[in-house]
Amino acid sequence: MNEKNSDIFSRIESYYSDYGQRAKELKNEGKKIIGYVCSFIPLEIITAAGCVPFRMRGDIHEPITKGNINLETIACPFYRSCFDLSVKGRYDFLDGSIVAHACDSMARTYAVWKYTLDLPYSHFVNLPHTLSKSSMEFFNEELNTFRKSLGGFAGKEISDDDLAEAIGLYNENRDKVKALYELRKPDPPIISGTELTKILTVGASLPVAEANQLFDEVLEELGKRKESPLKKVRRIMIDGACVDNIELVKLIEDLGGNVVIDTLCNGTRDNLPHTDIGGDPVSALADRYLNKINCPRTYRENKEQDLHKDLESRFGDIGFYAREFKADGAILYVYKYCDPFGFEVPARKAYFDSIKLPLLYLEDEYSAGTIGQLKTRIQAFLEMLG
Amino acid sequence: MAEEKKKHKKRRTATEAAASIGPMVKEFISGTLRAKEEGRKVAFTFIVCLYDEILRAMDILPVWTENFAGICGAKRDAERFLERSESLGLSRSLCTYALCGIGFDQWREELGEMPPDAPWGGQVRPDMMLSSGQILCDPRNKWYQASQLYMPDVPVYNIDLPYPLYEDDVEFTDVRDYYVKHIIEELRGLVAFLEKQTGTKMDYDRLSETVDLGERTWNLIWETYDLRRAVPTPMGTGDAMNTMVPMCFMMGTQEAYDFFLGLNKELKEKVARKEGVVEDEKYRLLWGGGLPSWFALSDFNYFNSKGAVFPAETTYRMIESMYQIYMPDTNDPIERLAWRWFGYWVFWHNKARKRPGSHPDVEWLIQYIEDYKIDGIVMHEAFSCRTWHLGLIWQLNQLAKIYKPIPVLVLGKDGKKEKTNRELPSLVLESDIIDITTYSEVDTRNRIDAFIETLESVAKSKVH
Repeated sequence: MNEKNSDIFSRIESYYSDYGQRAKELKNEGKKIIGYVCSFIPLEIITAAGCVPFRMRGDIHEPITKGNINLETIACPFYRSCFDLSVKGRYDFLDGSIVAHACDSMARTYAVWKYTLDLPYSHFVNLPHTLSKSSMEFFNEELNTFRKSLGGFAGKEISDDDLAEAIGLYNENRDKVKALYELRKPDPPIISGTELTKILTVGASLPVAEANQLFDEVLEELGKRKESPLKKVRRIMIDGACVDNIELVKLIEDLGGNVVIDTLCNGTRDNLPHTDIGGDPVSALADRYLNKINCPRTYRENKEQDLHKDLESRFGDIGFYAREFKADGAILYVYKYCDPFGFEVPARKAYFDSIKLPLLYLEDEYSAGTIGQLKTRIQAFLEMLG
Repeated sequence: MAEEKKKHKKRRTATEAAASIGPMVKEFISGTLRAKEEGRKVAFTFIVCLYDEILRAMDILPVWTENFAGICGAKRDAERFLERSESLGLSRSLCTYALCGIGFDQWREELGEMPPDAPWGGQVRPDMMLSSGQILCDPRNKWYQASQLYMPDVPVYNIDLPYPLYEDDVEFTDVRDYYVKHIIEELRGLVAFLEKQTGTKMDYDRLSETVDLGERTWNLIWETYDLRRAVPTPMGTGDAMNTMVPMCFMMGTQEAYDFFLGLNKELKEKVARKEGVVEDEKYRLLWGGGLPSWFALSDFNYFNSKGAVFPAETTYRMIESMYQIYMPDTNDPIERLAWRWFGYWVFWHNKARKRPGSHPDVEWLIQYIEDYKIDGIVMHEAFSCRTWHLGLIWQLNQLAKIYKPIPVLVLGKDGKKEKTNRELPSLVLESDIIDITTYSEVDTRNRIDAFIETLESVAKSKVH
């Protein structure tokens, strides 16, 4: 590892372990920092308003304590962890938070967040569940309501040109993420799953232009890797929601698997879909966030009453990525109390079975306390893969 | 479990109307089985779906799948269906109504007949499944999609029924037009789907009559429940968990209207006779949120045995007075349904805006506390349902923060007693809607006893 290489990766390590340090600096420079948790927040609108979107993380090592005072333990454990950290002041540099209607855990606790954190700004973006023409029109209107509301807070009328510029920056960002994913295709991959999780996590804590620059530097350094630092072992896919701590990925890699692809919120689900350019920017954003982000919270109609086609329509991206990245096995990783993913487990299992990809299903609690159990099961799975 | 079922006794009701519900529900279930045999279309659906009247006007028989799960729970016979769902890969932490329903349906499909000893004859195989999710409930969005894995030939239709959340800088009137427009479009899409499934065109005159009947029923329920303000209260939440049946399962039918006419008459007579739920009413409690444990409704009787009654509840109070809901001048029954839906869900927004620190959900509690002369609040946290239970603790905390209606004397800094106001005492019970393994009668009743002691203590220290 040369000096520059060491420099970029140590910067990433620093941003990852002291998460939010750049946001704090920007806050001190007078920028407004807007927190969010889920992939359905239209970041382009926040950036176009001159604010800095900041993806809040949970912390599997931090026991949930103060968060329990106002938030029931039956909420999504990942979301509870984010709330707990916020209550404890981990994110006290935030000027506002945006919550999307992704799931009950978010929608039904909007008031809990809003009143407990009492930030200067908060807003709820109401996503439809269906993909009808009317849903798209509704979401378009809802995004315009958000645009107006945030513009009011930021003291700036958000123009179409502002949005187009932000869309360009985010599309660029997604191209760079795709380039990073390409480095996982060789066997063994050029980049480990642990490294990529850190890079993407850090990227979500920075203004998009800075994230783009960071990704460029990373890509440049990784381009110099002549040999993979990894061994040629079983290639694993992770399917599930948000995995923003490295422990699961690292555990798999420590146990002798290479995590080469995912369909996670902070992975391909969020980072790869582009926004169309050239037309009305709000309509394009509505299409990207509602239609292109494939999350189980959005209902995709089984139009032909055909089970196989339905599974393909809902989970086809899993098969696509599994083939592209030559996965040998997959881990379906779902948090306890997650209704959107939880109700899909039998169908997802059926899909994995249909594409003949061996699957390990894990239900977890977003806590370091379960790592021992996970280790046993993952180890057995990797042994089974041979 | 067999012992548990044998020991379980029927709950006492205060009103004759509530006592008549059991046979009515049984008839729903057997009615759907008969209807299916007769070739009528039956549709799986959810309560508070808004489109009850549309189904009634098209002679489609609704099968309320939450209701069937609730019956399994009330009969203490849900466990085997929950276990079956778990064996399919569905976590016990998910909505247990859905788990019970999916477990039952998968078992029936596997056998090609009803599972053995199916409660009240079992849940019929549907001709269609009508989801209605959006902001109300995730399982409504996912349940039937999951069931379709075992019934791939049964079509699912899912509609959005949005309503806006309470914001500081956005009034509901700012977004009302596009919300209502979307709801109307979604309802029209549903009608088109139902027409295709039944091969029959919607009779809009009939729908208008049905919606009109539904609106009159809303008003009648509102007037009837308002009679419970009387001291002593003639009907409690325990009974309301029965009378929710015609409200939530029979809207748009003459039977529902007639039921509430009967209840209205009965309550008026009780009020005139000063006949309360209990002889010596000591404490008036608000059931401030949470679905009940259907297997433990006798806990309401236990409260009664301590002189505590529930004149009001926010659970299953799925109506408001139509006189207070904004309705534009329209004769289109679909539009009327959409406006009614929107108006119901934003009903408390304006009131909340007038009280610093308030919120519609909190404002609702305050209004009932004042209207029904409430001494304490009870909530139930059902572990498997995020929809109706997330936010309840915060509501209680926020209520305590902004609303302190009880004048009491406390010891001041100078050692003298001084007058101050305190919040209402509250109790949060914990269990589930139908998963009996989460419930302990002893623990629950100990907590109720402790709460009653708190109420006694507060009553003694109250300054009159």
